[in-house]
This record gives sequence, C-alpha cells and structure tokens, in this order.
Amino acid sequence: MTLIDKKLLEKILYHVEKPGRYVGGEHNMVLKDWQSVETRVALAFPDIYDLGQANLGLSILYELINDRPNILAERVFSPWHDMEDALREHHIPFFSLESKTPIKDFDILGITLPYESIYTNVLNLLDLSVIPLRSEQREAHYPLVIAGGQACFNPEPMADFIDAFAIGDGEEVIFEIIHTYQEWKSQNQNKIVLLNNLAKINGVYVPSLYEVKYFDDGRINKVQPFTEDIPKTVLKRISPALPAPIKKQIVPNTQIVHDRIAVEIMRGCTRGCRFCHAGIVNRPVRQRNPKDILEAIDLGVKATGYEELSLLSLSSSDHTQILDITKAVYEQNKTRRLSVSLPSLRIESFSVDLMDELKELRPGGGFTIAPEAATDRMRAVINKPLADEILFETVETIFDHGWLNLKMYYMIGLPGERMEDVEAILDTARKVQQIGKRRHGNRIRVHVSIGTFIPKPHTPFQWANSEDPESVQDKLDFLREGMRQSKIKLSYNRPDSTLLEAWLSRGDRRLGQVIERAWQNGAKFDAWDEGFKKEYWYQAFEESGIDPGFYINRQRQSDEIFPWDHISTGVSKEFLLEEYEMSQREETRTDCRKGCHVCGILDCFSDIRPNEQEVYWGCP
Amino acid sequence: MNPITPFRVRIKFAKLENLRFIGHLDLQRLFERALNRTGLPLRYTQGFSPKIRINIASALPLGFISSAEVFDFWLNAPVDLQEIREKLQAALPKDLQILDIQEIPNQAPSLQASVYLSEYSITLPDTYAQNNIKAKLSHLLASETIPVERRGKTVDIRPMIKEWALFSKDGSTVLYLQMDSSATSNGRPDELLKLLDIDPADVIIERTKLIFEE
Repeated sequence: MTLIDKKLLEKILYHVEKPGRYVGGEHNMVLKDWQSVETRVALAFPDIYDLGQANLGLSILYELINDRPNILAERVFSPWHDMEDALREHHIPFFSLESKTPIKDFDILGITLPYESIYTNVLNLLDLSVIPLRSEQREAHYPLVIAGGQACFNPEPMADFIDAFAIGDGEEVIFEIIHTYQEWKSQNQNKIVLLNNLAKINGVYVPSLYEVKYFDDGRINKVQPFTEDIPKTVLKRISPALPAPIKKQIVPNTQIVHDRIAVEIMRGCTRGCRFCHAGIVNRPVRQRNPKDILEAIDLGVKATGYEELSLLSLSSSDHTQILDITKAVYEQNKTRRLSVSLPSLRIESFSVDLMDELKELRPGGGFTIAPEAATDRMRAVINKPLADEILFETVETIFDHGWLNLKMYYMIGLPGERMEDVEAILDTARKVQQIGKRRHGNRIRVHVSIGTFIPKPHTPFQWANSEDPESVQDKLDFLREGMRQSKIKLSYNRPDSTLLEAWLSRGDRRLGQVIERAWQNGAKFDAWDEGFKKEYWYQAFEESGIDPGFYINRQRQSDEIFPWDHISTGVSKEFLLEEYEMSQREETRTDCRKGCHVCGILDCFSDIRPNEQEVYWGCP
Repeated sequence: MNPITPFRVRIKFAKLENLRFIGHLDLQRLFERALNRTGLPLRYTQGFSPKIRINIASALPLGFISSAEVFDFWLNAPVDLQEIREKLQAALPKDLQILDIQEIPNQAPSLQASVYLSEYSITLPDTYAQNNIKAKLSHLLASETIPVERRGKTVDIRPMIKEWALFSKDGSTVLYLQMDSSATSNGRPDELLKLLDIDPADVIIERTKLIFEE
C-alpha cells in the first residue's frame, strides 16, 4: 500500500477550484485502520463530489459496509477538469477521499451507475487510477470492479469494462459479493475462478461468462452462458423490507446538491406509467411505516444538524399512510427549525392537503406536478390518466393555498404523439397561468419543464422508436416561442444529449468499443451540458463501424431479442408486450393496488414477502 | 420574542489540515450544523428566514491554517462553559479544535467591527530561505508603495504591512508578519510571498493571532 505524497497533494489543492471536494474529513465520515480489516472497498460515484455525495444508494452501502468490523468502505468521486490535469501532470494515481489511498490498492471497486451519461467518466476514473479499462486486461491483483444502480438493468454497453454487475437492490448482495471475494482470495486462485463464483450469487451478472450471437442484420440472435452452471437469466435482487434508515449521514463541508437529510419512505410504484423505467424496475412497492419514518427523521436531525429534510419516494401520495405521516412529521418538528419537502405528489387536491400539513415547516419554494402529457388520448397512451378538470381544480387549490410558483413536467416525442398533443401543452400552461393570475396577479410564476421521451429497456415502450431529433427540435421551437410570448418559463434537455442517453440505454455490448473510443476522443462529463460534445460520439460510432440509428430508430417486432432480455426485473416480457399493445389501442390499466395484473413480480418474490403487518407491499 | 438576555459565547479555535481547504461561507454553514447537533438552546436571528446567530471574526483565506480564529454565537439561556465546549467539540470535525471559550457581555462590540490586525507565521522551505530572502524583503518593504492587482484594481499593500521579522526556529527560517485585517484594509501574506517569488502553495501560512480594538 502506498499513500499519496501529502505535501504534493496539498500544493495541488492550493491551486484547484473548490479543493474541499477532495479532502474529506466531514462529520460522520468513517476512517478505519487499513490493517484492522480483511477487505477494503472503494465506493465510487463517477461524477464530482458536489453531485455524488448526495446519492442515497452510495450512502446506504457506505454505512452498511462500515458497520461491519472486518471490512471498510471509502468514497471516490471524479475529479473536476483542473484537478484531473494536475493529477495527470504529477502522475498521481487517483485516490480515495478518506485515507487518500490509491484506488488500485483496494480489493473491490464498486461503481454506482445511476444513469448512462456517466459511462465515459467510469473509463476516465479507471484510467486515472492506473487500472486497465477492460475486464479481460485486469489480472487478479487489480481490484475487482463491480457496478450497481439503475442503469445496470441494461448492463451490456458496459460489459467490457465491469467484472460483475449487481442487479437490483444492493443492500444484501454486496455482502455476498464481499464474502465470495474473501473466500477466493484466501485460496490464492486466478480471476476466472472468482468470476465463476460470483456468477452463482443470485442477482449477480458476470458478462464475460455469456456469449452473444447476432443475425447478419445486427439484431441479436441469442445470448447464452458459455457453460451450463451459469444462469441463463439473472433475476434482480430485492430487499424485502426497506433497509434501516441511515444513522450517520455524512455532512459535507462544502455545498452539494440536495444538501439535506434524505429519508426514503417507499420504494417502487404501482402506477404503471408506460414510459417509466423506475416504475418497472423497482417493483414491488415496499413502504416504511410511519413510526420508523419519524425515528429516521429524529435520528437524522440529531446526527447531522441539517435544517432541511426530504421524504423520498417515486410517488409520495401513494403511501397508504401519507396523511398520518405528514401530520406526525409536523407535530414532531413544529418546534424545530426543519423544513420538510415532499416531492412526487399526484395531481389531486389531496396533495395540496398534504403540503398544507407541512407548510409551517417551510417546504421551500414552489409546488411541482407532473402531468407528463396534455391530452386525454396521450395520457391513455402512457397510462397516466388525468382529467383536465382535476388538473385545473388542483392548480386552483395550489394557488388558493398560497403557492406562487408552480412547476409542471411534460414529455414530448412519445409514441403516437401528434402536433395537437404538443399544442395542448402550451394551451394548458397558459390556462394554468391564467388561473394563477386571477388569484395573485403577476406575482405567480409558471415553469414548464420538457423531457424528451426515451424508449427505455424493461418498459412497455421498449419496442418503440425514438423520435428523430429534428422533429423533436421543431416541437421544442414551437413550445419555446409560445411560452416566450406568454412569459412562461421553459426548460428542456438538448435533443442531442437525449440521443446519447437513448443509444447508451438501449445499446448492446458492441457499444463498449464506441464508449471507449468516445472517451479516447475526449468525451467525459457527458451528463453536463458544457461537457457533452456530440462530435466525440459520432466520430466514435464511425470509427467502430456502428450505426447509432440501429439502436433507436426502429420500431421493434414483438419477437426481437433485446440486449437486456437475459436480465430480469421480475416483470415478464409478455406483460410488457400486452401493455404496449394496450397503449397502441389507447387503453389504460388501473393501479395494481386495485387488483393484480400479473406482471410477474409476485411470482418471482412471493417466497420472501414479509408479513403484511410488518412491511406493506403494494401488491394485493 | 425572547425576553431573556442572550447568553453570548466566544470560541477561539484552530483550523488545521483538511479544513484549511474549506472556505469562509462553507465554514459558516459548518458551524451552524455543528451547533445544531449540540442540542444547545441556540438563538436565531430575527426576520423572515431566521438563521442561527453566528459571528466569525475574520475570513481566513483558503489554504491558510490558523491557531487563532474566533467566533461568537448566542444562546437563549446560560449554559456551563465547559459543557458547551465538550458538546461543540464533539460535534466538530477533528481539524477544527476549540482552544478557548468564554462568556462575553451581550453588548460588547461585534467581532468583525473590532478586529483590525492579524499576525502570521510562515515557515519557509530551505530552498527559499537560502535565497537571500532577507535582502529581498528589506528592499521590497523599503519602497513607499507596493502596488498589487486585486480583481482588476490596483491596491497599495505597503501600508497594510505593519511589522515583519525573519527568525530561525527548529532549523527553519520563519517569516513573521503583522498586517491589517479589517473590512476596509485587509493584508494578504500570500500576495507578499508572490512578490518574493515564493509560491504560497509551497509554504504553510498560519494565522497566529487576531488583534481586536479594546
């Protein structure tokens, strides 16, 4: 083990922007003695500290690992450009935040892949750590490189670089991976033994043990393991109950995004919106009960000193005891100075009641709603039904109850979308603005945020194609002009960065060479507006002889094998196809709490379902 | 709102190692959260969005360490000073060390208004020390004006330098500086070092004393 030259590092830090990102030393940081443990894990979020430190998954794993005596976890975030230049200039291998140990000296490097535009940063991080990029180039003395997170439900584009993926909830499987690693290490065997052992853990996917065959036209013919003892399909892992809330959340010394306490109140969603990746891959719904939520808040406030807290879930209003929770949270905190936010509320007056309960706790800023589509037809297509009367009534209530800032999320480029559906977004925004103005005059602000649809893997829309960027741009131009005239704030993603996300989320393992070339061409920080340069990617596709349009322009036949078909979320492909066909007929499906639609999730996990009294699952 | 007289507490603290790379605004926020964790009866500012009442004497530039920083905060009721010290120290990162604690009359002038001088100690690496630093410094400080650029404006830093000395300590050469440290006139040792062709990143600049008007 070699430590970084402290003197040199301090000299570098003196000259870089926001050096506090690289020094650690925060309250609740865990610094263990390296010699006192058997296995050392580096947990990496491959973007800067300011973004990565807010990641809840990373914080959960950090605490769970460090709670055990025989292992340690330290954090790793990407250096910003100036720091990277300095590290390269001085040939300093990249290091962990806690002990400043080079990453290559850890046993395991666990990388969070929350979204696809972070992939080039993974390569850059490995390179800065002087670790070979490709799994096959890394011999046993290099760290085992594993990855987890929401993007891993299609692991194929990163298959060349990651030794093993943990699919689904990571709270249990991480210890099985560590245990398998420890056993292997004590036996002094080669890496292929380790990879084979890992592939036998439920929920672990080792891409190098699978062969992909293609048709001449590029479609996938077959994906299968090389040997029979490796599972044909990897079913994700779930935690039957939400993990215990974080006891000692790290309190950053410098400002980060979402700089507050995070308490997860529910995992998963029963709504079944057809575009929503998170809604499918995080099934089933698992709730935290009110008593545990209050305890988590109390613990969080005392351990961090934060005055801001966010209750996290995909759909807060759907927690069966949400009104009790908001009332109790208010009672608990009315004498404290704690502002509580409750994101992801459904569009109904009840949501305004919920926010009212928390209002005296200063839930900062405005009210946010996500209609996603503006016509009844389109809302049937995406299975997010909402009557206009309810929308306008809710908006009226929101303004009546004193909120002045309203943010609305919409999507464009959805399957079967017509220009009238886009025009309806503008009309709705104008009506909403009028409602606000009648009540409060010019003090109100309406903000419309437009996302461009991506046909995500494992969703009912996985058979759909992406709309071409020119046509998306036309729609955006139309909205921009209309909103400008009405002085409604509009924000949206650049169509080319949406394109990148679409390629990478739908790609197969042939994209590995494209990602590597794009990184060699200079691509990194693709998630950043100023970082993303599409030329790097077009050049990389050309050099690799791969047509990016192949992945996103085709509407797929029902029998096409997707690159991610051997990764199972528990929701069956038959169910998804049925949903897709219903969407084409503009038919909706009810919330699955009202009756099971047999998506497949219960078949996979009913044997680990806890007692209903202990943990509420959303499945009937 | 609060009829009781506020209990005003003054903390002298050291800022060391990793924390030298945490800036003034971040430090302010760090103290707010640390104080929150102590469970002490904190006093808040009045107004629309009340904040924990804290007053840090003087912003320490990024990268400097210090054994002489001072800040005040207020409580709604008197608490034993030793208890405050223990609770606050337990809530602070290890690179922020409490050196002293005292009760201050509530009507005492604000720290920011009364601080006017700082003392610094800079240990020079041998490579610089042997380079006839004394002659260079004497020559420089003999000038009537020393203009430097600050955010596009030219500022004369000569009047900000009150005292200086070079001496040997444990075999190293140490530069002692006393400079202005008020809102209207604030000397920066790193500016002077650059004029002597010393990269401030090569040395450790330590603030050793804050001097207040009586």
